[in-house]
Amino acid sequence: MPYSQIKKWRDNKWSDHQDSSKALNDFHDEMMIKVFDTALERHISEFGPVPCRYAWFVMGSGGRFEQAIISDQDHGLIYEEENEKTNQYFVTFGKELAKGLNEVGYPYCDGNVMSSNPVWTKSIKEWEEQLSKWLTEESFESIRFLLIFYDARVLIGEEAYCKDLKTIVHDYIKKNPRFLERLLENTQHVKKAVGFFHQFLTEPHGAHAGSIDLKQSGFFPYVNNVRLLAMKESLEATSTLTRLKALNNMSKYKQNLSWCANEFDKLLHYRLQYHKKNTENYDDIHYLNIKELSKDEKKEMKHILLNGQKLQEYTQSVIKGTIET
Amino acid sequence: MENIMFSLNSVWLVLGALLVILMQGGFILLEAGSTRMKNAGHIAGKTVFTFGLASIVFWAVGYGFIFGGNSNFFIGLSDFFYSGDQAEGMAYSTAAFFMFQLAFAGISLTIAFGGFAERAKLSAYLVFAILFSVVVYPVVAHWIWGGGWLAEHGKQDFAGSTVVHLTGAMAAFAATLLLKPRIGKFNKNGTSNNIFGHNQVYTALGVIVLWVGWFGFNGGSTFVVDDGFFGFVALNTNLAAGAGAVAALIISWMVLGKSDIPTILNGALAGLVAITASCAFVETWAAVLIGFVAGVLVFYSVKFFDRLKVDDPIYALSVHGAGGVWGTLSTGLFATPELATVGKPGLFYGGGFSQLGVQAMGVSVSALYAFVVSFVLLYAMKKVMKGLRVSEEEEIIGLDVSEHGNYGYPEAFIANEEKNRIAN
Repeated sequence: MPYSQIKKWRDNKWSDHQDSSKALNDFHDEMMIKVFDTALERHISEFGPVPCRYAWFVMGSGGRFEQAIISDQDHGLIYEEENEKTNQYFVTFGKELAKGLNEVGYPYCDGNVMSSNPVWTKSIKEWEEQLSKWLTEESFESIRFLLIFYDARVLIGEEAYCKDLKTIVHDYIKKNPRFLERLLENTQHVKKAVGFFHQFLTEPHGAHAGSIDLKQSGFFPYVNNVRLLAMKESLEATSTLTRLKALNNMSKYKQNLSWCANEFDKLLHYRLQYHKKNTENYDDIHYLNIKELSKDEKKEMKHILLNGQKLQEYTQSVIKGTIET
Repeated sequence: MENIMFSLNSVWLVLGALLVILMQGGFILLEAGSTRMKNAGHIAGKTVFTFGLASIVFWAVGYGFIFGGNSNFFIGLSDFFYSGDQAEGMAYSTAAFFMFQLAFAGISLTIAFGGFAERAKLSAYLVFAILFSVVVYPVVAHWIWGGGWLAEHGKQDFAGSTVVHLTGAMAAFAATLLLKPRIGKFNKNGTSNNIFGHNQVYTALGVIVLWVGWFGFNGGSTFVVDDGFFGFVALNTNLAAGAGAVAALIISWMVLGKSDIPTILNGALAGLVAITASCAFVETWAAVLIGFVAGVLVFYSVKFFDRLKVDDPIYALSVHGAGGVWGTLSTGLFATPELATVGKPGLFYGGGFSQLGVQAMGVSVSALYAFVVSFVLLYAMKKVMKGLRVSEEEEIIGLDVSEHGNYGYPEAFIANEEKNRIAN
């Protein structure tokens, strides 16, 4: 099916899959898989059959199974054989994939986290080396990459590849628990959205004046802190909700995190409900105009935002070991 | 002894004039820092030439209108083309007094031009500099300082919260309304964009130069040095500036979640503007309070004008307008019986509402006069000069090039031009 047809199919089916975040994300998966199939077909016809086994994974909100209606692309490839020719084959394929996703409606990733970028398309062995480098280098960029990779979810191919690579991360953290503190620093800065008077801190200027930055102020505290706890506990799950479920099954977290999944679920719900009505471009999706909320919704939203801060503080104390877990 | 006092007073007045003229430098830094690179040379340069023009006009007619004899309801009518003559019975050099007053007239004009920033034609500056200095400023100054009807009424305005700051701000207000917002300031949906100034360090330096200059502005307004009262005036001035900065930091932090630097800078200035009227009439604790209120007020005033879609690039309306009104009213609340050498004590010192009423009336009439007359003059200019504003294209390339054919930051722009030429 050509990309243009997938896009048409998407535009037609779109509204049938907006009842819940899960329905929406199932739809995203289906669509991305369709794009993959088309891209692969094209690539094979030009460059011949796939030389070895591989895994195609998505990251970011796609990896966490919590994409909004519009979301940019973040993905990478792991393949079995290590040689220059295979590398060429997959990087070129990555370019086709990125192009296809863009045509269907997933904008290119600003940070170039895409299979078309050799950083994100590597053989198993190279991936292992790269992860070790990221773990030991501890630069701002390598830590960012590591956190992005940690949300990887295999959509096509060998799931074990990704799982094995994450084991490297888990082992390293077990040996170097202080590394978590370094990761914590990377996600410490949160854009506050509730102020001193318990008022919303909306954007004062620009096209989004009067809106709160839902991505940075709402989602980030939940996503980032739950990810850190997941890393600490070597969890395999990649979505924030399933990570929370796994954490809540551990008695040490149960008492402190039981409320969290419900709040995050509401956040997903708000974004979906609100953006069904007003979405013009990828930029808009991150903002929520509080004028559109009812009085009760405003109250609830503040609660969600403040609880995000609470989660942040809790995670800090867990990672820094000031609380026994 | 009398001779020594005469000399000391005169030195003090010239020193005051010097500090107030130095405030033009503060305004250059403040305005240039708060606006974009492409207009920097223009903003700096126009301040110098308009002050020059204002000096000549003040010598020719301004001084006579304010302080001359044979006065009618609006102005005095002697001492034109002031020769430097010593007025009889004055405890200081009249020429020094002239210089001090000239410096004030120049500041008021520069404040008015804040409302012109980044979009007015150079010729509009030229014409309005003359008209403002002839028709607007001298009338208000005569009413309050030149023995006019507001002076007789007992209006307290020690160093010019109303005369200098509010008058300038009202002209700026009229100008912003007629000039309309800068390109790109407001969006179709009514929200506003932040057009960032190009150098916050300049802006902050500008504030400090103004802060220091203000000791000449307020301290110099004692005119005489005996009993060292100017020291007390300086003390109050400094307290209000400090309180304004602190209040602005606190309010912006509480409301925005971050302490906003432009707000802090505006807070210090608003504190200074507010204490200008009251610095000689109130106790130190009141000076702190007056500055503090000014710092909060300026924050909300900026938001208010933004909501009205009035584009005020360097916050002249909020700092000098809102600050000037509050400062003038503040003496009606806090003037003490001992210090109220003009008028009566304020509300909190058993003076009742009478002084507050005098202040409110004086500030309203002065503001109204300055606004209406400036508006009419600018409106007429707009008709006669076929617009006050540069063309859209000129505004986009910047006034440095469109008005002066040169750049304030040549390297930053000419390199790009070269590149484009090669690329084409």
